[in-house]
Amino acid sequence: MVQIAMATGFILILMGLYGALTNQNILRIIVSFSIANTGVNIVLVSIGYMHGRTAPILNEAVPLAQATARIIDPVPQALVLTAIVIGLGITTLMLAFAYKLYERKGTLDISKFSELKW
Amino acid sequence: MIKRAMVFLFLLGLGSLFIVFMQEYTPDTELNQTGRYYAEHTAQDIGAANIVTAIIVTYRGLDTIGEVTVLFLTAAIVGMLLSRGSHKGKSLQRELPQSGELLTTGSYLLVPLILLLGAYVFINGHLTPGGGFQGGAIIASAILLMLLTDPLRHFSHQLITIIESVSGLLFVSIGVLGLFYAGGFLDNRILPLGELGSLFSAGVIPIIYSLIGLKVGAEFSSMLVNLSETEDS
Amino acid sequence: MVNVIFIIVIGLGAAFLLGLLREKWRNTAYALTLGSLLAMAWIAARWLLFFAVDGGATFEIFTAGTAPPFAINLRMGITESVLLLLVILSGLLSAIYMSKSLYRLGGRAMSVLLVFIMALCGIILTRDIFNLFVFFELAVIATAGLLLISENKQALSAGFKYLIISQLVSVFLLIGIIFTYHVSGTLNIDGIAGLSLDMMKGIGSLAFFFMLMAILTEAKPFPANGWALDIYESAHPAFSALFSAAMAGSAAVYAVDKLLLIGGQQWLPVVTAIGLLSFVAANLLALSQTHDRRTLGYSSVGQVGLILAIIGQRDILGDSYLFIAGGILISHAVAKAGLYWISGLINQRHLTDWAVLRGHPLLILAFVSFIAMLSGLPPFPSFYAKWELVMILASENRLWILAFVLIGSLLEASYLFRWFGYIIKRERVQEEESESPLLSLASHKLLVIFSALAISWGLAYLWGELSAHDNLFYALPLLFALSFLLLEWLPAWVKNTLAIAGMVYYFVMSYSLYDPLQIIFAAIFLLGGAVILLASYHVHGRRMGFYPSAMLMFAGLTLLVVAEDSFQFFAAWEFLTIGSYFMILRGKHSEPHALSYIIFSLGGAFLILAGFALAAQGVTLFTLESLAHVAAPIAPWVFLLLAIGFMTKTAAIGLHIWLPGAHAEAETDVSPMVSGILLKAGLFGIMMLLMNMGKQQLYGIELTFIMLWIGALSAFLGNLMAVFQEDAKRLLAYSSIGQMGYALFGLALMNQLGWLMALMFVINHYIYKSMLFLSVGGVAKRTGTREMYKMGGLIAMMPFSFIAVLIGIIAVSGVPPLSGFGGRWVFYNAILSSEYRLPMMLIFISGPIAFLYLFRLIHTIFLGQLKDEHRQIKEAPFWIILPQMIYVAALMVFAVVPGLVLRKVDAYLSPFFAETAAKSGLNWEGLTITSNYGYWSPIPIMVIIAIIFGLLFVWLLFVNRKAQKVKQFNIVYSAERPFRPETTHFAWNFFAPYRKAMGFLIQPFVTRFWETLTDFLHTVADLFRRFYTGNGQTYAIQLLAFVVIVYLFRVEF
Repeated sequence: MVQIAMATGFILILMGLYGALTNQNILRIIVSFSIANTGVNIVLVSIGYMHGRTAPILNEAVPLAQATARIIDPVPQALVLTAIVIGLGITTLMLAFAYKLYERKGTLDISKFSELKW
Repeated sequence: MIKRAMVFLFLLGLGSLFIVFMQEYTPDTELNQTGRYYAEHTAQDIGAANIVTAIIVTYRGLDTIGEVTVLFLTAAIVGMLLSRGSHKGKSLQRELPQSGELLTTGSYLLVPLILLLGAYVFINGHLTPGGGFQGGAIIASAILLMLLTDPLRHFSHQLITIIESVSGLLFVSIGVLGLFYAGGFLDNRILPLGELGSLFSAGVIPIIYSLIGLKVGAEFSSMLVNLSETEDS
Repeated sequence: MVNVIFIIVIGLGAAFLLGLLREKWRNTAYALTLGSLLAMAWIAARWLLFFAVDGGATFEIFTAGTAPPFAINLRMGITESVLLLLVILSGLLSAIYMSKSLYRLGGRAMSVLLVFIMALCGIILTRDIFNLFVFFELAVIATAGLLLISENKQALSAGFKYLIISQLVSVFLLIGIIFTYHVSGTLNIDGIAGLSLDMMKGIGSLAFFFMLMAILTEAKPFPANGWALDIYESAHPAFSALFSAAMAGSAAVYAVDKLLLIGGQQWLPVVTAIGLLSFVAANLLALSQTHDRRTLGYSSVGQVGLILAIIGQRDILGDSYLFIAGGILISHAVAKAGLYWISGLINQRHLTDWAVLRGHPLLILAFVSFIAMLSGLPPFPSFYAKWELVMILASENRLWILAFVLIGSLLEASYLFRWFGYIIKRERVQEEESESPLLSLASHKLLVIFSALAISWGLAYLWGELSAHDNLFYALPLLFALSFLLLEWLPAWVKNTLAIAGMVYYFVMSYSLYDPLQIIFAAIFLLGGAVILLASYHVHGRRMGFYPSAMLMFAGLTLLVVAEDSFQFFAAWEFLTIGSYFMILRGKHSEPHALSYIIFSLGGAFLILAGFALAAQGVTLFTLESLAHVAAPIAPWVFLLLAIGFMTKTAAIGLHIWLPGAHAEAETDVSPMVSGILLKAGLFGIMMLLMNMGKQQLYGIELTFIMLWIGALSAFLGNLMAVFQEDAKRLLAYSSIGQMGYALFGLALMNQLGWLMALMFVINHYIYKSMLFLSVGGVAKRTGTREMYKMGGLIAMMPFSFIAVLIGIIAVSGVPPLSGFGGRWVFYNAILSSEYRLPMMLIFISGPIAFLYLFRLIHTIFLGQLKDEHRQIKEAPFWIILPQMIYVAALMVFAVVPGLVLRKVDAYLSPFFAETAAKSGLNWEGLTITSNYGYWSPIPIMVIIAIIFGLLFVWLLFVNRKAQKVKQFNIVYSAERPFRPETTHFAWNFFAPYRKAMGFLIQPFVTRFWETLTDFLHTVADLFRRFYTGNGQTYAIQLLAFVVIVYLFRVEF
């Protein structure tokens, strides 16, 4: 179960990176990176998953005394939230940059933005 | 073609490293030291039923401040970027199709409900799954809906910025209060912890999470508004 | 003490508060920004004082009232406080610098800047790996935002490229973090580091690899750093300053340092390798850059690479780790920020456009200080740091690393000093020709630059205090030299008087402490220098830059004489090198020659450094005498390194190509200083070396024997090359190569007579070479040319110069009665008593060859027909003639009483050669010196020569009674035609027949070798920089490839 999730995450990362590194179009690159980020997030949560346990919220279902034995690791859950938000920030920023780049040159082909080099 | 082959080759290399991870990975059967500590101490130390929330808002509060700042920064930069050189106050050039009766009416009905749901999610962040980020995102989706209904609708940047900044400032100030009235920066115990599982519990966590919710909502909205206002092509 | 968390709180709070201010209240917003940066800086400074002065202990800050590893904690120690102060101060200064842009963009830009600084502080403070990730992402996003401040349109694409890279980085980092967490069960850095190594095997080490690669990427390692160069090129210079000094140079490298706590020893070699590769490669590629900010970017990458390499060597650096890493890091930060800030004043982007700085002495001083800091020259922190580093590397036998560090430093110094040459020498585009001003001096920008300048000198003092060696600022000669920087506003003659008085006074005060050998050198350096400085009175005006440089050189020379340990010696060596470089650069056409001079000199200096390091084997205070006790396997190598280093300064054949241009193109009064005086520093070094180490064998070859051959060849070829010169000063310059060859030969003989001869050469060469350079310089000044065939018949116009040259060449050629003969005499005695016959032959032949070219000086310049345009010419200025006349007198005195000086030296030297059979066998009786082969009694010789000369003169007068005077334009008699004088003048290509016979010997093989090497380096640089295609996607692929390839390389660990 965990392995499946983790494998999915890894495959998503590789797919995303392949897309990001081969597509010429900036928007496609951004989308590809989003896919890769999703992959990373899946790997992140899958690490915290423990078979047969439940969400780390103390309520009737998980009384305090049994918490240690009943809940999954809460840390990756917290981390993934942060990772998602940060990924979202960067994606937004990339979109805004893409918009401005397009406005300047009228193209979204990344190879056209290589005046700075060598 | 060569490029694709190269990329493929290197990703193959990366993939083989991932395979090593997969092969050598053995899922934990017991909580590790950190997880166990949270499971055992959260209730009495932090007083939050949702352990993830306790981690996000308190134990790893510094991360969360950073996270909120990421959004703040992104919103500021997008604002800077898109206000640069764009013609303010100029109305859209092209005719937009009518958004339709269904959407318009639906939005009247839904927007208050969505806002309410968002508020519920962040206020109850310490009890149930959810919290400031989720709630904020829900609030922003209400704004998105309004924008879809009427792309020309004008939102007050001023208001958004004020909400954003004030909630950010309050978040930081509450953190500082922790320094003086409790164990350290971002310590939630400046208010009584209350009874585990009730709304008024977990010290300042509900307040902080509400502030985060407002802030995140404002930031997402500001990004959406900024992006929609640029659409003049 | 204020809680450290307030640094973050203030940064964040102010950023949020800025959002509340109205767009119009820009003044308030800006004041708030500066105010909060100031407050942050104050907190960091308080803590630094607490640690440094009160010796406070490292302080842990817990957040959330929970102890780590369960909540995030921060740590404040001395390292953190220094880095924080550095980051915040550079942020503050940059904020002042870009006030206009910040005003234009409003509060949002200011809050982005604040968050950027806050994030860097967070990176430095945090002890949690995931928190590190968050702060890094904040810094990345803020970077993208701050790029928008730039007026360069390309900054947008640079920002996008960076975002692409940061996406990859965050993928690597997150994967690494989560698996590290999985293995260790904690996110706390110290917690993970405290675990047993077994846990970090397999999956753990792979996870660490991902984290390390991600964080390393932020330090911009070669070759995965194309995006960074694009940022450096296009960003606002004040932001580039921050990006280089604060982000890459401080925060990122410190993050690597922290991370290595987790990985442990086994990862150090990886970091070292990546760092060194970046250091060497970036500096190599920078050779072919012409864009100023991009060049600085390459230099940044290189410096950060060096810091990484130092971090990778922490296992052997021990207690010196902070001193070394800190010295390099802080030097880089201040210098790079300063240079970027200067670049913001200049409105065009080619390196040569920096020539507009000329005429702004303070800015030039700032530039010089900054490039000296980057190149690791004294007295800056990087010098002390590099010294320590090299010492430790050598003692731990990490010689490859040492070699790469030195090669990279040399490459870096080459393009930095080339750049300085552009500033001083390149044509300035006239203001009127371009529509926009070339230089915009805003007072707030200048304020920022000059604060960096002040900080750089303050740090230099501080590092001197921290160093285990002497603080260079306590060396009186150096202070004297530096004080001339403050006196620059005085007219030249006042400064000249001060300089002369200072030098003479210092000699008078200290000569009683010297041994005879030191006295000779000190007298030449100080008194000799003072005599040459008399000639400097002929220059009017302020003569900006001359006195600090000249005094720096003399300070170096003075310190060299009294140096007791290797550190003092090396520091003095560097001072005299830099000072002389600045002086040589002052010549009209000396830009390329000064450059080759400084490159050769620094290369030589690095060899000396390596030699000392190898010899010291970790001993902190390594006295020069201990060279004698260096043990067998390394001793010959030490000897070799030091000897080659010193021989670059004496311009031994093979390493000589810098000399002719440097000496010939220098100013009239500088040529004698760099020739007559500076060359002796190299000889002093060789003497010191031979005296302490004696004969050394490498693979069975006697090294002094090789030196002997080099000396002979230098004498022979140097003289031969001088023969074919048309340019009088070049002729003298080549002749110096020959003369130094003699001296080297004499020293390498390793017997007392040889040494005596070398010392006579030291004295003689100083006197006659200074004199000749002055008189030829005076002639050149009056005639406006240095080509000898364009002169002629000047004897009547410039009689004093003629006398000086006449006496000079008599002295040089070693004919009786002057002291040159004495030199020859001792010399022939010396070689007759040694067994090296073949090189001896070469030396013998060089004598007559020398006469060939010396003869031309008299014949072509002073005799023959006066040129029409020289009819009204006057004698050289009084102040140039005066020292020449002093030299004439000195030569006479030295010719009559050579024993006055040499006797004591002879006595001083004899113990050194006690064990060898060949004692000098000289017997000093009255004025007469007796040897095994005969005796030399100066007075009778003088008298006999005078009688012969008198008789001949009378006879000449008698014969010439009937001579017929010929008018100028009576071309029948003048043996020349008026057109194309250069090919028909009899003095042109005077020795053509000899050239036919021996020209093959002076084919410029050596020059070609060095030129080929330089060309090769430039071609490689130009080829490899094309690797940075400018395509953001390609950069990302390169990063991916970098990660995979590094992994493949490290599999064996």
